Amino acid sequence: MMSLRKLPSTECQSLCHKVVDELCGREPPRIVDYGDTWSLGEWVGLTDCLSSLFRKTVGENCSDEEVLAGLRDVGPGYGETVLSVLEARREEIRQVLLKRTHLMSSTTLQDFDWQLKLALSSDKISSLQTPLLNLGLYVRENGALRSVAIEMGREELNTLISSLEAANKVVLQLK
Amino acid sequence: MVFYAGLVSAGPRFRFCGDLDCPDWVLAEISTLAKISSVKMKLLCAQVLKDLLGEGIDYEKVSKLTADAKFESGDIKASVAVLSFILSSAAKHNVESESLSSELQQLGLPKEHTTGLCKSYEDKHSALQDKLRETSLRLGRLNSVSWRVDCILSSSELKEVNEPTVHLKLQAQGAESGSTETTVVSVSADKFRVLLTELKQAQAMMNALQ
Repeated sequence: MMSLRKLPSTECQSLCHKVVDELCGREPPRIVDYGDTWSLGEWVGLTDCLSSLFRKTVGENCSDEEVLAGLRDVGPGYGETVLSVLEARREEIRQVLLKRTHLMSSTTLQDFDWQLKLALSSDKISSLQTPLLNLGLYVRENGALRSVAIEMGREELNTLISSLEAANKVVLQLK
Repeated sequence: MVFYAGLVSAGPRFRFCGDLDCPDWVLAEISTLAKISSVKMKLLCAQVLKDLLGEGIDYEKVSKLTADAKFESGDIKASVAVLSFILSSAAKHNVESESLSSELQQLGLPKEHTTGLCKSYEDKHSALQDKLRETSLRLGRLNSVSWRVDCILSSSELKEVNEPTVHLKLQAQGAESGSTETTVVSVSADKFRVLLTELKQAQAMMNALQ
């Protein structure tokens, strides 16, 4: 963290924002933007250090004083800069940590798609006229994405929805 | 043009055969049916309908019904097959019992036999169609749903979470009969709400189709 002082505290703010960007899954900060300020080793260490500082501060709900105390040795102004970035991005970081918390389950729902169809005719009956719903679930299982397709008729969909409604009631009570 | 003319003159079309010619074997076995009494044929019809509706056929009863006509086992099989064809094909093509009656008489089934068969058909017409609809090809089927709602209190990433999460277990049948797939998945509260809302939209559209 001490290597942060090679950068003036004014420029430090934009670096901190970029580190948070990376944390949120957007473009990471690039070493080339900072010229010869740091060696590659220092750069990796510094960005890791900043990233875990932001995660730890939001994750453990640290007070401003604790942050300032941690950065006191770096130099004047740096602590305040980090605090201002934290202030602005706290909710965003919290959402990322929440997402990571949800991802800890071995299988999570990544996304879903559905398609409503009307089956017209089959080899068994010439006028079938039965609506069917295709539900595609994209499930992240131990890091790999797997898709599950379920075809449902009217009654099966009703069963699914009434089941989910019951679960939703409990979710709403918790909120 | 000659080919076209040939197609047109290929013989009478029957609605219960899907507006096609009556298959030769059906034509042949209709005369076998005429060998048993119309009352017995009606009872035979009832057995065949039971089979078509998935309730199972009583073969002992069938052979008793056909005993006095001195049917051999081949004849018994043929009568069951032809009744099965007539009843399921008529239901498949949604033929009403009056049309079926006139077409069967055109094919040479005696009037009393036809009346008995068509009466049985009329009684079970919608049950037969429901069965055909139910047994139509499905690429999957949802068998059961289980759920559990948890409240995440804390995690290694976030000290205070207090967020609900929903675990779902969906048991679905694949396209192959007998293959079931169980999917267990946890869904964050936000995603769960979106999933439920969209499924309800789909349900509303499905109900509007009726």
